[in-house]
Amino acid sequence: MEYNKAQMNTEPKTDNRSLALTALEDFKGFAFYHLGRFSLFAVSFSTVLIVLLIFFFVIQQGLPFFKNFGITEFFTSKQWYPEAGEPKFGALSIIVGSLYVTIAALILSVPMAILTAVFLSEIVSHKIRNLVKPVIELLAAIPSVAYGFFAVLVLAPFLQTEFGLSTGTNALNASIILAIMALPTIISVAEDSITAIGRDLREASYGLGATRFETIFFVVIPAAHSGIIAAIVLGMMRAIGETMVVWMASGNANQIPSPWWDLTQSVRTMTATIAGDMGETSKGSPHYQSLFAIGIILLAMTFLLNIVSEYFLASAGKNSRKK
Amino acid sequence: MRFIIRHITDKIFTALTVLSVVVLVAILAVILTPILWKGFSAVVFTGTIEFRKMQLDLFNRGDIDELNKENARSQLYRKKIYDTIDRFKQNIDAETLCDKAAQICRTFGKELQRKNMPGAEYQQLRSLSREIRDKLQIAFNSSNKKIVDENIKDVLKYKTDIRFKDTSAAELFAIAENFAADIKNIDLAKRQEYAYALKEFENITVKLLGYNPSTPVPALKMNRYGATRLNIAKKILNQLLLLEKWEQTSPGKPMVKISTPRARLFAGTEIEPLFDYIRDNIDEMLIPKRTFYWQYLIDSSTPGHYFGGVGPEILGTLLLTLASMVFIFPIGIISAAYLAECPSDNFIIKIIRMAINTLAGVPSIVFGLFGLAFFVLYLVPLFGGPSKPCILTAALTLAALTLPVMIRASEEAIRSVPQSYKEASLGLGAGKLRTFICVILPAALPGILTGIILSISRVAGETAPILFTGAIAFGPMPKNAFDPTCTLSYGSYDIAVGDRLASLVPHNQYGMVATLITLVFCLNIAAIIMRAKISRKLKGQ
Repeated sequence: MEYNKAQMNTEPKTDNRSLALTALEDFKGFAFYHLGRFSLFAVSFSTVLIVLLIFFFVIQQGLPFFKNFGITEFFTSKQWYPEAGEPKFGALSIIVGSLYVTIAALILSVPMAILTAVFLSEIVSHKIRNLVKPVIELLAAIPSVAYGFFAVLVLAPFLQTEFGLSTGTNALNASIILAIMALPTIISVAEDSITAIGRDLREASYGLGATRFETIFFVVIPAAHSGIIAAIVLGMMRAIGETMVVWMASGNANQIPSPWWDLTQSVRTMTATIAGDMGETSKGSPHYQSLFAIGIILLAMTFLLNIVSEYFLASAGKNSRKK
Repeated sequence: MRFIIRHITDKIFTALTVLSVVVLVAILAVILTPILWKGFSAVVFTGTIEFRKMQLDLFNRGDIDELNKENARSQLYRKKIYDTIDRFKQNIDAETLCDKAAQICRTFGKELQRKNMPGAEYQQLRSLSREIRDKLQIAFNSSNKKIVDENIKDVLKYKTDIRFKDTSAAELFAIAENFAADIKNIDLAKRQEYAYALKEFENITVKLLGYNPSTPVPALKMNRYGATRLNIAKKILNQLLLLEKWEQTSPGKPMVKISTPRARLFAGTEIEPLFDYIRDNIDEMLIPKRTFYWQYLIDSSTPGHYFGGVGPEILGTLLLTLASMVFIFPIGIISAAYLAECPSDNFIIKIIRMAINTLAGVPSIVFGLFGLAFFVLYLVPLFGGPSKPCILTAALTLAALTLPVMIRASEEAIRSVPQSYKEASLGLGAGKLRTFICVILPAALPGILTGIILSISRVAGETAPILFTGAIAFGPMPKNAFDPTCTLSYGSYDIAVGDRLASLVPHNQYGMVATLITLVFCLNIAAIIMRAKISRKLKGQ
């Protein structure tokens, strides 16, 4: 049917029509082609537009804060009393809290993620791999609020009763859940980059008598290092930008844990501060602007991390293309 | 030797990788099992008669005749509890008893006045009745049994007196007799403690069986019904039977939970056997039945999600998903087509790609900020809409967030269409547009569908972006796109952390999250299966 129609359209009905297009027809075709292409481009460009709008609006709302209150206090003071009579906006412990749970989450998740990626790409057959992959996808699919729910109602009471902690909602709880959430990202990117390493490297290593461990550890992983770094950076982005889990599970106490390795203390993160405080602010107040200022910091951090990850991904792509 | 070490390291390494995968699977199981299992109990459970009453009252659902029959049967067993409590309460409450005696005495005096008696006789009767009253009051207030007995005996002497017959004063004797009979087993010195313990006992009974039918209907819906589920009833029953106290055994040591039978507080009284009675007859009083409450998925709920289901949340989630798909679908596919069909070394394409990656990396809460600043406070008012969070702004924010997912999946799908399709179509003389719409798009459709499904699951699960752009914890069903809405995702947050009331009904808490996870998982599993099919098809070619 489709074929017939096409035939009818392409075959001229009148015999005396010349094959050459008239100037008008030619122009029409040209115009339509470029108009169509431009409209496609315009729609595609909306993504760029959204990114620009995000940067513009977040910065527009947040910048007055830096103008009015300066940068020094924001980054050096630990006093965060935005609603006090004389408001104080020291976000140091909030920023540190974000980095704290993120790094703790990475420490927990990276070894496991890389081991899993190695397992999937180097050790098992295709069949088992196809069985494990959906598990990872499902882990990635669980909504963050469900993770938060689990953290508050299952993990927190467990930590509290089993380890005798004063509170179950603390940095440890948030880090564990963030680690789980970062796993799928790190695993899939790392696995891709490990798989992309050519057979020749492996075969050379095995041919020299190396064991599988030695091949993976001294040949494959070094060769795939840029992809793995990109994976870790992407996992970090996921962890630092996560809101619901840290809001629900971190305890939201505005403090820097001391001693610094004590994960069982409550912390507060940038994302949780924005989520928690926005309801109490009125539009245009210093508190409201300060939350957008935190948003700027978050945006800047993730943007930087994004550039870093793209750099490493690109160099990983170059490495594997070289072969 | 070195060889052995190398081999052992190799084996350990392999074991570690296997272990990490096992842990991964275990994590998924550990997270899902409690949520899904407990969430399941929101729908399938053993419901009591209180549940059926609630369903009939609030949702107009169920068989009235059947329920009335059941109710009559359960009241038969409950009556004894209410009666015993009422009597006991009366007898330990000296103040009310005294008031009552004084009241009767006063009525008697008025009655005498009406009878037109001779003055002397009137005076005599009046003082006699006062004497009786005083003696009764002494008896009621005393905690010494001897005094009580003496006074009551004195009072009861007049019971046979012909002058009091058929008058209101006869009631005094009835009270006295009842009191004498009832206090035999009561330690009068502990009246205060009894009163306190009884209050607690009554409160728990109300929680278990619902309010006493002789008292007014509670204003709050949540207080109108007893335990609606057998497992909750059992928990409350346990609370009723055992008194839990945290005690410090010695200074410096953590508190220890000590539970003692609550019946001991009422040792020797008529209340004591009630505990066994309630325990033994709980089934008759609550009439548990296996219940399949599928309406959980369509019912709206009472404040705090105490009763009812997640109907508005599901509807809100669907509306939000649908609304954002309206934006995501065309933009996503067109962008994907442009990216896939245009030469990729173009500078503009590079910028677009970078924008997509940036967009995918922007934290979800920043999307929330952006949605608030741009859609809620700027764009919608610009077109004359109300400047408040609503479905439209939430959908737009979610669309911006989910666009990268859609574009990436669709682009991959379009790219995976074999080049020969395109060449064949072009070779037959079709234009680029026709080739794309008639050949490439149908071939890429399953992959694009996978992308759509994944975007839907992302939209349904995201919470942070809609916190300030259109989600509410509780409210009526939205009427148009300018109303805020409840969603499963924000509801899950609120029910876990925000709402103290909800922690009393864990089945509803878990039910909400389980619904969300089930929804997202069904979508994702569908996407996984579809992708597997596509890859098998592509391999076959």
